[in-house]
Amino acid sequence: MSYAPSAAALERIERAIALYPERGAALLPVLQAIQAEKGFVTTEAEAWAAEKLGLEPIRVREVLSFYSLFRREPAGRTVIQICRNLSCTLAGAENIIGFLRDSLGLGPGTDTTCDGRITLVAVECLGNCDNAPCLQIDGVDRGRMTRETAEALLRELEAK
Amino acid sequence: MSEVKTVALTIDGRSVRAVEGTNVLRAAAAAGIDIPHFCYHPAFEAEGSCRMCLVEIEGLPKLELACATVVREGLIVRTATDLVRDARRAVLAFLLAEHPLDCPICDQAGECKLQDYYDAHGRFPGRFVEPREKRDKLIAIGRGLILDRERCILCTRCVRYLRRITGTGELGVFERGVRAEIGTYEDARVDNDYSGNLVDICPVGAITDTDFRFKTRTWFLERRPSVCPHCARGCAVIVESVTGYPLGPGERRVFRIRAGENPAVNGHWICDLGRAGRRDIDEGRLTAVTARAATGGTVPWQKAVADLAARIRAVPGPERPARIAVVLNSLMTCQELALARRIFTEALGLGGVFIADPPPGSGDGFLLTAERVPNARGVLEAGFAPRLPDLEALARSTEVLIVFGPYLAGNFPAGTAAPALSPIAVKYLFTSRAVPDDGLADVAVPVAVPAERSGTYINVDGLRQTFRQSVAPPRGVPSEREVLVGLAHGLGLNVGEPDAG
Amino acid sequence: MSGQAFRSLPPNDASWHLEAYLARGGYEAARRAVTSMAPADVVAEIRKAGLRGRGGAGFPAGLKWSFVPQDRPGPRYLCANADEGEPGTFKDRAILVRDPHRLLEGMIIAAFAVGIGTAVVYVRGEYERIAGRLCDAVAEAQAAGFLGRGICGTAFGLDVIVHFGAGAYICGEETALLESVEGRRGQPRLKPPFPAVVGLFGAPTVINNVETLASVPEIIGRGADWFTRLGQPKDCGTRLFSVSGAVRRPGLYELPTGTPLRTIIEEHAGGPPDGVGIKAVIPGGLSAPLLRADELETPMDFDSLAKVCSMIGSAGIIVIGDRTPILDVLAVTARFYAHESCGQCTPCRIGTSWIHKTVTRIAAGRGRSSDLDLILELAGGMKGRTLCPMGDAAALPLYAMVAKFRDELERAVGR
Repeated sequence: MSYAPSAAALERIERAIALYPERGAALLPVLQAIQAEKGFVTTEAEAWAAEKLGLEPIRVREVLSFYSLFRREPAGRTVIQICRNLSCTLAGAENIIGFLRDSLGLGPGTDTTCDGRITLVAVECLGNCDNAPCLQIDGVDRGRMTRETAEALLRELEAK
Repeated sequence: MSEVKTVALTIDGRSVRAVEGTNVLRAAAAAGIDIPHFCYHPAFEAEGSCRMCLVEIEGLPKLELACATVVREGLIVRTATDLVRDARRAVLAFLLAEHPLDCPICDQAGECKLQDYYDAHGRFPGRFVEPREKRDKLIAIGRGLILDRERCILCTRCVRYLRRITGTGELGVFERGVRAEIGTYEDARVDNDYSGNLVDICPVGAITDTDFRFKTRTWFLERRPSVCPHCARGCAVIVESVTGYPLGPGERRVFRIRAGENPAVNGHWICDLGRAGRRDIDEGRLTAVTARAATGGTVPWQKAVADLAARIRAVPGPERPARIAVVLNSLMTCQELALARRIFTEALGLGGVFIADPPPGSGDGFLLTAERVPNARGVLEAGFAPRLPDLEALARSTEVLIVFGPYLAGNFPAGTAAPALSPIAVKYLFTSRAVPDDGLADVAVPVAVPAERSGTYINVDGLRQTFRQSVAPPRGVPSEREVLVGLAHGLGLNVGEPDAG
Repeated sequence: MSGQAFRSLPPNDASWHLEAYLARGGYEAARRAVTSMAPADVVAEIRKAGLRGRGGAGFPAGLKWSFVPQDRPGPRYLCANADEGEPGTFKDRAILVRDPHRLLEGMIIAAFAVGIGTAVVYVRGEYERIAGRLCDAVAEAQAAGFLGRGICGTAFGLDVIVHFGAGAYICGEETALLESVEGRRGQPRLKPPFPAVVGLFGAPTVINNVETLASVPEIIGRGADWFTRLGQPKDCGTRLFSVSGAVRRPGLYELPTGTPLRTIIEEHAGGPPDGVGIKAVIPGGLSAPLLRADELETPMDFDSLAKVCSMIGSAGIIVIGDRTPILDVLAVTARFYAHESCGQCTPCRIGTSWIHKTVTRIAAGRGRSSDLDLILELAGGMKGRTLCPMGDAAALPLYAMVAKFRDELERAVGR
């Protein structure tokens, strides 16, 4: 099945392309627009982006596979990125991560719940160290996580 | 003529002159100092990622890349200090840490940069005790090439070659960090006519060729330079063969044709057609004189040539121009063509001297020319007109037809040449290829292929290139030069010493 | 409550809007610069102020600006580095959120000084949500004639592109940043050529950290002399210190350079919590070699930290409590650099991974007595040998950890 962006995504893409002196330079914002809409970038979307920008598809894959925030596989409807760098680890991030993974039933090597609702990934520093341990839910910061607020988060997501 | 500007610098205490704009690595190489390197290749600008060529530059606090440092007047370079040695050992240790112990089964063994540099600059015990990254090892990436990701040291020469030289970009680097790996996109394959160069430029056994895989060991190979005969470019090639051990006694095989370096002609590259030419040397060869009327056994080529000479002498002198015809080809060397001229045109006065060649193809805008013969200009220089015979006219008057090369029939509609020429009483064919049973030759005499000969070709740009025999012909197989000299003697002609070839 | 002490950064409320910014004197410096100063004089003023880069390298900003050749035609670019990936650092974020116009004003002045017509703000992908304010501020500034064509009625114009990264610490390195803006993998480039000569799309480019650029309006507004009276002689002004870890009041503290580390930790950030002592402090982001508890008198400026074999880096102060095993710090450090290595050059690609694998094995209880020396050796194979400074960033912290906490680590290995 081929890929086509929504009208809104396409508009965002066209605006991005117009900003750069070289078409191919708009690759990151184009991939970001595609992922913002679909949650990840399929091979078909890769091909679409390649054609749109006058790039070889291999160059798109090279970029897609380099940057941590890009996904080539679908993620859960909600993506939680939890920091495990130093300040957050010092503040007990490992316990929060462990608790969340257990609660969500995530085994080793799996980051997405079986029902596909939630993806939990441990990431490097989010730049929110004074609110350690911190995380982002779909890109929105939340800090000073405790076991209690983590439980509350899970309930919140349950209700969604 | 503008003078090339040079600068004087010091490398390891020696005064060296280098052309302005050269990098230290090349300047050192020109002075006989080999600075080890993986990612640098003279065909590309400096990449600077392998870090193997780090050297000391006086006045600079850190080690600097020899490949990326341009020579300047008064530069002082040291390539053999303890610090440099330590840096090289570190790079080797890093590369070997994540490198598989494949040497015993890896085709690159014996010509592997990692092995060679470890031998010259390493010799330390390995200390990596962690689990290695596991990667795919047998990836068919196209054109018979195999990618082994565990062996790959990410020098990215292959990626850069396909982007900058062939412009086809079939390979890329995916992922990040130690997970970084080379690959094609989805099902895409390497698919260009210069893919074989990837094997040449890979410093390790990460890209290998199925044509060579597991067939021999590099240290058995004799490597001799030659000139590729498959088109008019005349690329420098290296013919790599084994004679005798570990093959059978007297057995000879050409295992590989690689690109030779010739800045004036092909740079560092050859096309895949040239590499595939390996098969013409070994396969489908005519190795003994075959005569249609023979009742068994064969005769030495000298006898066949002597018989031909006798047959020619049997034609009265004045009648020879009408009744003897010769077909030559443009794979013959200048020396062979000059001999042919002396014998056929000058001595025998023949008018019917024709040229039959393999059909042209299309040029690819890079090295491969439309002309698929190496010495068409040599043919012209020898005074021959590049024309095919009219078969019917030939059949009417000719009594003795002498054909050099297996190309005649291919220049006419299939199956027509042999019947058309059947009225000719005596047909001698001098060819390297096994002869189909089409009646085109009464006597077929084996001859050597270009790689087995010495001589000169004039390439598409008029450049004269002289090459020496790079591999011996099968036993009992002469070169065309030997055949022509033998014929001349049989005819009682004094053709003088052929040009040294 | 997150601690904060600011000389100039406004609170996180509506103060970021254009009207509020104008009300506190915003865009006056830019107006003065573009209407009545010569570009070369602006550069001279910044050089006189001795403004040093606040991203990590500390290169003098004015000097960097002066490297851009003025004798050739063609576009020039300014990149504001908001990649802020250095662990322990969250100051640029605060500027983007609380005072985006100040960043823009600094960019306008810098662009005017160097003859630049297009600026890119490279914002790390993780800041995409909070960068909404920056985008709004750009729109406000454009509408008010501070961006776009004919700024303040002059011939000078500046366009601003906000470009988001996608999760790669290495893109904080200036040439990797350029690669990323050009739509490629964030792999650092060989230098020379330097970006000032060959940068974005091959054109001369200045890359400055967000805080560096945000310091520019005040220098032009109040003068270089004012700036040099703040902080230290060879490292002037104030800086935003990010403080996190084992402190009562983690947060941002805007203080003069040269403030002793101990003062920042104890007086401003409240010191460690009750019952916790300080084992070590990382003074300048994870890439800065840590200091022991007895080294905390060190003044926070370039030279003083260099003297104790560390660096001010991004001024990201991480306080490590005495109950934290140094092995944990080592483990996070090793994992981080292995994860963030771009993979281009041999020593970093393999060195960071080898170290990470070794530390992982140690943490799993299978350490060997030779492991610590091995880690030092591997770090030595990376230090000064890599294509970009990340090799040093990955290697130098390890030396400090192993050297200063050898006994503790040996016990951890031996376990």
